[in-house]
This record gives sequence, C-alpha cells and structure tokens, in this order.
Amino acid sequence: MQALDKALAQVGRVVLGKEEQLKLALTCMLANGHLLIEDLPGMGKTTLAHALARVFKLEYRRVQFTSDMLPADILGVSVFDPNTQQFSLREGPVFTQLLLADEINRATPKTQGALLEAMEERQVTLDGVTRPLPQPFFVVATQNPVDQAGTFVLPESQLDRFLMRISLGYPAPEVELQLLAGGDLREQVRELQSVITSEGLIKLSRLVGKVRASHELLDYVQRLLDATRSDDRFVAGLSPRAGLGLLKAARAWALLSGRDYVLPEDVQAVWPSVAEHRLSARQGGSVAAITQSLLQSVPVIRR
Amino acid sequence: MARIYQVPSHTRLWLALAVLLCSLPQLVKGPPWQAGLLLLVILIRWLVEQQRMTLPGRMVRSLLLIGAVVLTFYSFGRLYGPEAGVALLVSLFALKYLEVVQQRDAYVVIVLGYFVCATALLFSQAPGMFLYVVLCMTVLTTCLVGINHSDTRASGLLHGRRALVITLQAIPLMVVLFLLVPRVAPLWNMQVGGDKARTGMSDSMSPGQISELSESAELAFRVDFQGDMPPRAQRYWRGLTLSHYDGRTWQQAVPQGQPESEYLYQRGSEKPDWYKRLEGRRSPDQQYYRYQVIAEPTQRRWLFSLDVPFPLYGDVSLAKDMRLVANQPVSERFAYRVDSVPAVSAAINLTSQERQLMLSLPEGAGRKARGLAHQWRLESDSASDIAQRALDYFRDQPFHYTLRPPRLTVDPVDDFLFRTRRGFCEHYASSFTFLMRAAGVPARVVVGYQGGERNELGSHLLVRQYDAHAWSEIWLGGHGWTRVDPTGAVAPDRIELGLREALENSEDGRDLLDDLGLRRFSDGGLFAKVSQLMDYVDFRWQTWVLGYDSAFQSEFLEDLLGAVSPVRIAIALIVAVTLLMGLYALFLLWHGGNERLTLMEREYWRLHQRASERGRPLEAGLTPMQLCQAISEQWPQAAIAADNWAKYYQKLHYDPVSLPNKQQKRHLRSLRNRLYKLLD
Repeated sequence: MQALDKALAQVGRVVLGKEEQLKLALTCMLANGHLLIEDLPGMGKTTLAHALARVFKLEYRRVQFTSDMLPADILGVSVFDPNTQQFSLREGPVFTQLLLADEINRATPKTQGALLEAMEERQVTLDGVTRPLPQPFFVVATQNPVDQAGTFVLPESQLDRFLMRISLGYPAPEVELQLLAGGDLREQVRELQSVITSEGLIKLSRLVGKVRASHELLDYVQRLLDATRSDDRFVAGLSPRAGLGLLKAARAWALLSGRDYVLPEDVQAVWPSVAEHRLSARQGGSVAAITQSLLQSVPVIRR
Repeated sequence: MARIYQVPSHTRLWLALAVLLCSLPQLVKGPPWQAGLLLLVILIRWLVEQQRMTLPGRMVRSLLLIGAVVLTFYSFGRLYGPEAGVALLVSLFALKYLEVVQQRDAYVVIVLGYFVCATALLFSQAPGMFLYVVLCMTVLTTCLVGINHSDTRASGLLHGRRALVITLQAIPLMVVLFLLVPRVAPLWNMQVGGDKARTGMSDSMSPGQISELSESAELAFRVDFQGDMPPRAQRYWRGLTLSHYDGRTWQQAVPQGQPESEYLYQRGSEKPDWYKRLEGRRSPDQQYYRYQVIAEPTQRRWLFSLDVPFPLYGDVSLAKDMRLVANQPVSERFAYRVDSVPAVSAAINLTSQERQLMLSLPEGAGRKARGLAHQWRLESDSASDIAQRALDYFRDQPFHYTLRPPRLTVDPVDDFLFRTRRGFCEHYASSFTFLMRAAGVPARVVVGYQGGERNELGSHLLVRQYDAHAWSEIWLGGHGWTRVDPTGAVAPDRIELGLREALENSEDGRDLLDDLGLRRFSDGGLFAKVSQLMDYVDFRWQTWVLGYDSAFQSEFLEDLLGAVSPVRIAIALIVAVTLLMGLYALFLLWHGGNERLTLMEREYWRLHQRASERGRPLEAGLTPMQLCQAISEQWPQAAIAADNWAKYYQKLHYDPVSLPNKQQKRHLRSLRNRLYKLLD
C-alpha cells in the first residue's frame, strides 16, 4: 500500500494538482482496465500516461491516430523474409505494456475496432496466428471532445471497453503558476523513479480481487445499476459488464485507500468515471448531472 | 430419464428431526420395539447419508413392514383401536421415512407427520402436549419450506424462522375455527387409557387408608367458585357416606329393601319424594354457594361437593345421602356445576330401615367403648349433649393427632380409645361414630376432602390428595344429619389451617413433612410459585379450551350471533376468516411486499429519520459516513458521537468477515442512543 502511495506521489510531481484524477487513473490500472482521457490538447494527457509508465516501469509506446491509419499500423504486419523464405510478423506498436492511443477518434472505425478488439481479448490474431499481448497491458486513449471535424466518434458499445473515463481539466491558478515556474516537463518525467515493477503491479491487481464486498454493498451496486435502467432520462441503462467493472473499480479504489473491504464511498468515488461514458442522455439532458443525481437519490442502505 | 428432485441436504436433517419429534410421544409410552425400529431407521438413513450403504431394497423393507405389523399385534392383541392403531401408524410412518428418495416421498412423510403428531392428543390434552404438537408442526412446516426453497444453499435455520412465522400467522385462524366450527359428536366412542390406576379415595375406610392418601400431593379436583368461597373450616367436600362397620372397616351400605332408583335422582328423570322435599325447603334468601368442580379421572363414580348439592350442569345424579354420583365412571377430567345449600339438610327424613342401619354395630367389638357410651347416655338428656361429651372426651384425654399412628391389635376400637390414643382422622371419625351408635344416636362416617388451597392467580381452589379427610355425621331430630368432626377436637389446626400446618405444629409432623416433600408446596418459594402458575395455566386450559364443548359453544354462539343457525355460523366463519386474511394482506401491502429490513438497515434509517426530523431534510443516498458528516454539520456537539456510530456501523455492515453478533448490535444501538440525545 505504501508503494501505491509513493507511486501516486511520484506521478503527482509532474501532473500537478490532480490528485483525484491520478488516483482514478491508478485505480483503473489496478483494476486491470483501460482508461479513456477526454480532454482538450495540452492538458497533460501524454504526461500522465508517460509518467504512469515510468513509475510502474512499463514498456511504453505512443500512437497518434489519424484518419488514414490501417489496422496493420497498430497490430503489425506479416512480412516475407527472402532469407528464410517464410513470412515473419513485424509486431505493431500494440505489443507493449502501456499504449498511449492519442486522439483515438481520428481513426476510421475499422482501425478503432482493431485496437478495441486487442484491448478486450488481450491478444492479436494475424494471418491465423494468435499472439498474446505482453502482461500487463494497458491502453490509455485520449479523445478531443470539442474538435469534432473529421472524426469518427466512438459508439457506446465501443466505449464500454474502457473501464473508466476521466478528464483532467484546467489546473487551478496557483498550480498553474507552479507549472510555469517549473522546468521542462519531459525532462522531469524522465527523472521519475520507478516505484513498483510491472510484476509488482500484476501482484497488486490480484489483490484487488481479494478485497471483500459484503452482500449489502453488492445490493447497493445493484440498486445503482437498476436506477440507470429505470430512469427514463437515459437512452439505455448500464450493462451487467458495466456493473462488474464498477465493482472491480470500487475494489481497487478501496485497496488504494488502504482497506480490505469495500465501502459505499468507494463505489460513489468511481461511479462518475465508470458510468458516465457508458450512458447517453435523451435530448437536453446532461449525463454528468443525471449520473451524479442518482448518487443522491438511490438509498445507500436498503429501505 | 425423469429428473429426480432431490431433497436438499439441510432439509434432510430437518426431516429426520421432524420424524423423531412426531413419533416421540408414542415411543415414550409404546412398546420398546418401536423405539428400536425408529432408531434402526434413523441409523440406516444416517449411514446412507454418509454414503456407507445404499437404501435397503424392497425385500428388506417388506420384511420390516411384516415385522412391524406382527409386533403390533403381539403387543396389543389387535390392530385397531386407539393404542394399537396409533402404534401401527407410527411404525408405518418410520418405514415410509426409510424409503424417502425424491421430494415426492418427502411430501408424503411430511403430510403423514402432521397426522401422526396430532394423534398424541388422543392420549393427553395437557397444555404442554398441545405446545409440543405445535412444535412438531413447525418443524414439519420447516421441511416444507426447505423443499420448496429454490436456493439449496440457504441456511436451514432461516427456513425454521420462516416456518415459525407461518405457524404464528396460523394461530388467529386456528382460534377462529376453534370457536366457530360446530362440534360434531364423535362417530365412535374411544375409550383411551381406560385402566389407569390412580391414587384416590376407595369405597371403604379402614385404619391407615386415608393417612396413606395424605402422602400424595396429586390433584384430586379443582373448584371455581362463582361469588363467595366458604371459609376453610366450612369446606367439607363430601364424597361417600359409610354406614356399615365390621369392627375394622367402614363400608357403603344401602338400607335393606330400598331400591336404588328411589335412592338416586338423575337430572331430568322423575323426582323422588326426598328430592321434592329438599327443593321445597329451598328459598331465595338462603345462603348458597355456586361453583364448578373439575374432577381428575378416578375411574370411579363418586364426586365431591359441599353440604347439600343441587346439580346444575353435568352428567351427574344426587343420592339420598346428599352426595353426587357421576352417571359414568370418571375416566377423564370431568366438570359439573352445582349449588350447595347448607340450610336444607333438615328436609331429609330417616326411615326406620335407615335408622336401624345407622345404629348397627358389629358383635363383640369395643366392649369398653360401649360401656363408656352407655354411661354418657344415662348422664345426658339429648343426642347433641352426648356428642358434646364425646368431643370433650377426645379433647381432655391425651389424644394425639399423627400421620404415623401405632398399629392397632385385636379390637381396634378399644385399643385406640383406651391404649394408643394416637391416630389420624379416620381413627377419630371411626371411634366417634362407634361411640355415637353405641349411645343410640344414628351416625355415619363421611369420607372426602377438607379444606383445599386457593390458587392466588386463578382464585380457584385446589384440592389435593393430602386434603383427604374423614368425619362423622349424626342424626339430630329436627336438624337432620349434622356434621361433627372429632379431629377438630384433637387437632383444631387441621381444620382451621390445613394438614401441612397441623403437622408443622405437631411433634413428629415436621420431619414427616420433609420426608414427604410436601413442604415445598407452601413455603412461598419459587417452587410454590411455579407450581401455582402451572396449575393456573392447566386450570384455565381445562375450563376454556377442553371445557369448550358443544353446550358451551352454543351458549357462546348465542351470545355472539343472537341465535345459532348453520347459516349464521357460516356467515360468521366467512366474515372472520376474510377479516383475518384481509389484515394479513394489509400488513403485506404496508411493508411493500418487500423482504423485511434487517436490524442493521433499520438502525440506519431510524437515525436518518431522526436527523431529518430534527434538522434539515437529508437525501436518501447518504453513506453512513456521509450521514454522520451531515449530522456533525448541524449539531457540532454530536460530531464525536456521530463519528463513533458511523465507524462502527460501516465496519459491521460492510466488512463481510462475519455477520454482526447480538452484542455488537447492542453496542451499535447504544451508540445510536447516545447520539440521539445530542440531536436536540
């Protein structure tokens, strides 16, 4: 647990004043889930992803998505080797431990689909040969919410593949001052010390599964899920997969908070980042506002 | 292949328990081979459960069946009748249990079980047995709940709780059906337990017989007075009059040449002359006692009453010697209601045959006594004077009242009066009557009970075997038969206070009381209180439940419905049942049809509600810790108490290591109560 705190502190040195989001990002990694960051350019998305990779000593690749990209550009391609007279696979950037998929909505649905499938299966099949991706494997994808020209918006079904979605937002004034006063961010990221090895991370994520959740808590999670389904301000409610994700994220959050059992607070903490991107409001509604209001109206204790 | 619906494992355990409980009353009183059979069946089932053997095949089961039938016939001499029938039923029940494989078999066993446990009520209708049968039914219902529960891993205890709730819900319905469904006379008359030997009065009296009775604390009968109860010294419960003496034993006798039909008056039959005279003597301004007696079974016909009883209710007759007689031997608890009127006894005449009988003495017995009586007769001018002299004689000479009198030799009358002078009531009554007859005064011995002890809870009277007593009645012209109790002259305490106190005050009595264990009934300690309470419950059970027969029911229904007709009863039944069901339905609706909240959940909502009432309204979606913060914001002084509560609560509610135990729940409640006080 101390290692996790240290990791948080390390990342916090480069991504300033965003403790909440950092903790959520770490939660996502512990829960073995993929992270979607939705933000304007220049808010520190790349820095965050890079810093996470350094702290956990993960192999890190970055892919800038464009509209002319093909699935092979991500997954890799079979090449004929004239020396051996055989095809050999040239692995694409997906064969790494932490992949930063920048502006994922710029790629065509076909390319997006290829990545998302790799994310879900944690393996890649090329020319009939299935290759597992390295362990652990995380995708941190970013998306620009404003600039929609020439983009292919990810449909909800695809968004479901991401365990959590967060946005960083503008820094607070005093934090920004500090940022301006500081040196080159790239330098700083390189100077970050790794706190936990990738094997350590795998061990930790196994611990997440051991965090206890009482029957009463599961009942609360179920009631939350049910509320999204019966609320007609939403187009559709959360899927059972979303529910499993919510519970897993809550477990990871509890672990990060140094507890071996889940409290309703843990569920509430991860609730917006797990639920919002999977839901869409009927016209005129704000998903964020409605999702938040459910936390107020759904009884924590059965009544 | 047809799917086999297995009985869930925890329900198999409940089923074994149910079979055992349902058969237990029969096993306790039945022949020992039945217990052996059930043990064998349970052992086999257990071995099968452990997978150490398979269920016995058709051959073995058939052999067991034949064996059970043969043994039943061997034990009872027949296969029908209540005892043999129930024994056979219980054996078949055990054998049916042996072949349970599927749910269907289990249903058969359970339904049979409801019937088997109810047969226990054929033999005993005590409140304890009733509770036991309810317990059996609850366990059977638990099996039903278990079989029908879809979650096979659910706890068996949970099913027990549900079954208990179902049983409790059935109780109001049971009361309605009990009150309203018409009592049908049984199609056949069952004589159950007809030859039970009990302690009690016999139809004769010889020295030592009553003192034997007084060693038993068994109940003889109970009396419920409507209105006043006569004082203890007046409570002479007459049972039998004994008029024939053979020198040692007093026996009942009827004067020669008197037909019994004239001697007994049965309610509703033609009234004999003596009864008409008795009735003629009654007037409304006379003092009388109205009471109901519930007699314990004695297998005899005689009953007990005060003074001159006029039967009001019950299958009883009045004899000319002013005692009540049951028309059938009393084989189970028996209730009768009478009016006792002391003043009318003078109406009875004494025929010459009767006078002859009441003066007869055995040849040769009591020569010295006869001399003494003769002397008194010469010296006195009236019968009452003679009686007074006799009482004085007992009082002045060194007579002792004792439960353990010395043995009397050849001539009991003289031996007692002039040598041992230590005796119990029967000695005094016997010798007094002898003296009176010898002095020419018609006299007889009366045996019955004297006194009785009041149950403070039920304000009814309890008469036990140790209240057994004997006294005399002498014929005084113009007064009729008059009670004289020579024991009162020797030991006034016996009459004024009762046997136990009389013994307490006598030299050897105290040790005797301890020997007999009788003292615990009166020492005011726990035992006395508990025994009073048990007696009260038993008495009320007797009067209200078992005594609710068809006569009582039609009386009650008349009060309730105005007139008793099948249509009215049907309407009352429908209305009552609908009302009850409606209440249950309302209750369910009220609770939203949901499962009940657990204690932990209620605990949270109570606090939530209290905080919302006293302060600003709070939303539903607050975690315990957020609720605590909301409270701390509004009531800063409660911050620490709220924090304590919330921390304890979330640990108990959300850390699923173990379910919270009672102590923890109590602690949580005390934390909440402490918090409550701060929310003002």
